[in-house]
Amino acid sequence: MIFNSLTYLLLLVFVVLLYWVLQYRARLILIFTASLTFYGFWRVEFLPVLLFSAFLDWSVAQQMQSRSERHRFYLLLLSLSVNLGLLIYFKYLIFFVENAVSFANLLGVEIDPIAMKIILPLGISFYTFQTISYTVDVYRRCIEPERNFILYACYVTFFPQLVAGPVLRAAEVIHQFANRAAFSLDHLFVGARWILYGLFLKVVLADNIAPLVDTGYSMSLVTMSALDVWTLAFLFGFQIYFDFSAYSHIALGSARLMGINFPENFNFPYLASSPKEFWRRWHISLSSWIRDYLYLPLVGVKVHDRSIGGLGSATADRRHLKPLFFSWVIMGLWHGANWTFLIWGIFHAVVIIFYRLIEPSTYSFRGWLRWWGGLAITLPLIMLSWVPFRAVSVEATFLMWAKIFQPSQYTWLGMRENTYLIATLVLLGVFSTYAVREKILPKFQNLKLVVSVVDIIIISVITALVIIFLRPINQFIYFQF
Amino acid sequence: MFNLKKVDWKLVLGILNGIFLLYLVLADDKERRHFEELALGTENTATPGLVEGLAVHCHDLVDADECLTNYERTGRPRPVLLWLGNSQLHAINQFKPGEETAAPELHRRFQRHGDYFLTFSQPNASLQEHYLLLAYLLSRLPIETLVLPVVFDDMREDGIRDSLIGAFRDQTTIVFLNNSTIGQIMIANHDGQIDFSNDMAALEDTVQERSEKVLNSILEEVWSIWARRPILRGETFNWMYQFRNWVLGINPSSTRKMIPGRYAKNRDAFVAILDLAAVKKVKVLVYIVPLRNDVKVPYDTQEYSIFKSEIEQLSKNSSAHFVDFESLVPGQLWGSKSATTLGGEQELDFMHFQAGGHHLLAEALYQELSMLRSSP
Repeated sequence: MIFNSLTYLLLLVFVVLLYWVLQYRARLILIFTASLTFYGFWRVEFLPVLLFSAFLDWSVAQQMQSRSERHRFYLLLLSLSVNLGLLIYFKYLIFFVENAVSFANLLGVEIDPIAMKIILPLGISFYTFQTISYTVDVYRRCIEPERNFILYACYVTFFPQLVAGPVLRAAEVIHQFANRAAFSLDHLFVGARWILYGLFLKVVLADNIAPLVDTGYSMSLVTMSALDVWTLAFLFGFQIYFDFSAYSHIALGSARLMGINFPENFNFPYLASSPKEFWRRWHISLSSWIRDYLYLPLVGVKVHDRSIGGLGSATADRRHLKPLFFSWVIMGLWHGANWTFLIWGIFHAVVIIFYRLIEPSTYSFRGWLRWWGGLAITLPLIMLSWVPFRAVSVEATFLMWAKIFQPSQYTWLGMRENTYLIATLVLLGVFSTYAVREKILPKFQNLKLVVSVVDIIIISVITALVIIFLRPINQFIYFQF
Repeated sequence: MFNLKKVDWKLVLGILNGIFLLYLVLADDKERRHFEELALGTENTATPGLVEGLAVHCHDLVDADECLTNYERTGRPRPVLLWLGNSQLHAINQFKPGEETAAPELHRRFQRHGDYFLTFSQPNASLQEHYLLLAYLLSRLPIETLVLPVVFDDMREDGIRDSLIGAFRDQTTIVFLNNSTIGQIMIANHDGQIDFSNDMAALEDTVQERSEKVLNSILEEVWSIWARRPILRGETFNWMYQFRNWVLGINPSSTRKMIPGRYAKNRDAFVAILDLAAVKKVKVLVYIVPLRNDVKVPYDTQEYSIFKSEIEQLSKNSSAHFVDFESLVPGQLWGSKSATTLGGEQELDFMHFQAGGHHLLAEALYQELSMLRSSP
């Protein structure tokens, strides 16, 4: 089910009403069935895969409790093999086979292309990571295995975050399902605000930027100028930010309506003054997952058990460059089975490794200089990293990147004037929103009437625009991952 | 439990006020307006091309069947002269009752010779769209002659409008498009294109598509705002368009520069049209459209002259008949149009002329077409 739709809003109202009325067991069954309904509205035939993955990890975790260390390890391997096996089959098999065939042909071994049609189950990358984290946490004895399957299944399948995160840890939410928070109007109003903001980001901003990006990336690379590359990099950067943070907003808001708190997944990422800080602000639950279940084990450092912090908080020194690089390769491939995603991961690895090397030399700079200077370097780099995410091929990615280093490519504009204008306005809008929310409004807290009026005006405009533009015309970008 | 002090009144008032705003916008009961038609302004009237009550001038795939059915009603196969173009073909400046565009006039004149003159036009139509529409119509009509106006403004357009993308579902059209590189690019771009005409585009072939349709139809019945959201979307974009023009001082006299990427794609589409016509043995009349030139033309003069000579050269390379009608319509037959900026005054219209201009254009086209068709 897609969030920006009437069907979802109706389901949500129905579930929230019942949630606050029903008692423990009935409440869990409600969440579980609502989650399966939510998922089944897309493709019912993939429900067994989701349930199998959940049931396997629940069973494995149960078995772990009473077994020897050696057996626990084998059980962990079983869980990892099955989960990653499913992920590889559905997400990467076609990619591997196609590349193997191409490679064989390159070596002179004639193999006909193998036609394969495998549909990627929605959200498999998210729920697989979530179930893996559960098994690993039980194995590490960070948490006790959950005896109640329905309670555990609520954690894996909880509909607000099922198909595009945030990637939650069992310790963060299972206790919230088990012990319902006391009803408060706060839950409803805070949740409603989050949902309203999320819908605005999706249906008003992301969906209206999408056609500009689509048109821009479909133009001929010959007539694309360096300014076009920059503009498209920024525009897609904003589109994916609005789109994905919209999903997170709606997920957080939906959960909050039931008194369930999720950690924030985004925090003005484009205001980061370093690549390290960016990953503490962007898709925080994924970067912290990679940190805790891949990077830190590889470097042999004690792990965290909360989906906060991002990759940047990990312990670092030069010996850890290989694990870091490997983590980024996995991070890239997690997004999709395509060489362009691998390039995206490698790009970030290189940027972060380079930043780690130069970071000590920036300590002597004044605070404002570090922040503004860092921002001026980080933002364009991050935006350029989105080029492989959206470009049609590896070749197109490198051709676009190459243009920005050629002065002769800066002498013309290849798109309609509106495209540059909108990119500029959105950039200014993001910075202004941050400035108003974080810097200006706090200074006027004493003028409560003024702040309230501004708040009401903003909500009025957002509400009107959401009603006008609400329609499931475009999926969330992260659904494809 | 329900402590009123905990109510977020700002949120409640904001939402109510937002809904009230929508009623306010629709208070003057605006007629349904298509955003693409807004640029015409109130001084221009989109005029239906009718002959004896039957449409001989259509716009896109939405009304194409009407024109095709009218053709079939004639009973016997008649050679078709197809005229593709932009809003210049369907808009009359300072329209007076009884006036008509060139399309029905030409239809009647050719009817006397047993021929069928049919017109299709869309606002700001690009040559890529003409190419797509031609490919679509070729398998449906015995097209003998193609009349193709070329507009510098429209070389700045890209993409295919929602009302034409249905042509990509037609296999014969795809076969025709696949014969050219630009056609292949158009097909590839269409594959990733969001269909903005379909509110449920993201839900195709899912269970949710059905539930969403039911819920939407219920809401449209019980809440007038919901049913009129397309109008509100049009009004929002129109306001933004006018606001932009007001802030940046843009008006129809502002110089419009060539956009290299789009220009190249439309030029390729132009060549592909000529190639396709040659293969299908369709005669082609290419003309540079009449332009208001009693005042400074809103183009970079160098770019405009390059454009004209390039179109002329490409036409000659393909043995198409080329005519330059730029100065065909005298200054007094042009007009103005309503402001395209917030609170602005009347502005010059460079594209749409009065009924007298349509008559001149019809006469000139008739002469050129007669000459072209009598040639071997």
